[in-house]
Amino acid sequence: MSLSDLEVERYSRQLVMPEWSGEAQERLRSATAIVVGLGALGSPVALYLAAAGVGRIGAVDPDPVELSNLHRQPLHFTPDLGVPKAQNAAVKLRALNPEIQVDPYPARFDALNGEAIVMGADVVVDCTDSFESRYAVNDACCAAGVPLVSGAVLGLSGLVLSVRPRESACYRCAFPVEPAAGSVPSCREAGVLGAMAGVVGSIQALEAIKLLAGIGRPLLDTMLQIDGATLEQTLVSTSRRGDCSSCGAVPAAAQSR
Amino acid sequence: MTAAALDLRGVPCPMNWVRTRLALEGMAPGDRLDVSLDHGEPLASVPLSAREDGHEVSVNGGVVTIVRR
Repeated sequence: MSLSDLEVERYSRQLVMPEWSGEAQERLRSATAIVVGLGALGSPVALYLAAAGVGRIGAVDPDPVELSNLHRQPLHFTPDLGVPKAQNAAVKLRALNPEIQVDPYPARFDALNGEAIVMGADVVVDCTDSFESRYAVNDACCAAGVPLVSGAVLGLSGLVLSVRPRESACYRCAFPVEPAAGSVPSCREAGVLGAMAGVVGSIQALEAIKLLAGIGRPLLDTMLQIDGATLEQTLVSTSRRGDCSSCGAVPAAAQSR
Repeated sequence: MTAAALDLRGVPCPMNWVRTRLALEGMAPGDRLDVSLDHGEPLASVPLSAREDGHEVSVNGGVVTIVRR
């Protein structure tokens, strides 16, 4: 189905891009993206995916909006305090773009529900804030064969990696061993600047759109490290591990059953 | 080879180029599209954009003829 007049007008400034096309826009419209975590990274990711016209967005987060979230989570506003983030995200994203469908999942993404949440999606964007949850999202994506954009931000440093399961290195290939508890400070201990999370989340949204529309060259087998203090960026090569418990012969999600 | 016409008079930049691009996307290589445009910015920029995309372009008065690449 071709684009309506309203869609052509709404997306006109990306439709004029030489890299873009009506076909790319239609690919986005027929796509499903799952955003796991609707905080500092998930806010810009969900906003940009909705604005760009991704047809269906699954918004996953178990927590309510808290006052201490607001300095870095521009999806949530002061009157939204106490509202579940998944529900609030659905309201805000539908207001931004009524052409799309938003499905809220007010639940913690884990090994039990993960595969069901990502099944059938075209891309998953991991915007969670712990190694445990990043491994859970990665395992579910590898088991279901769904492309993943993983991101992390800590203080003024950020990291992004895109994954095509069984074609490129997954998050567990890149980080096979979880750092010992306490060796990595929690988000609350380390602190984070909202604008820096916005940089990383915007890059994740860009990666997700590239994967969905089939344009550009995503960060496959390549990690982007970015230092907000100097804005120095480093591309670090990574590669698949034959013995990876996520994307190797026997997926971790299957082992845990 | 088919030919089509698009009247985009009264449609400002860059919406006129958006409409032109979408029309070209639905055509086959070698097909011809005649686009009527307003004088000024539209007639200055749309032919330029079409050439940048690699199409064959000629301008005759207020009509831009584009042969799809």
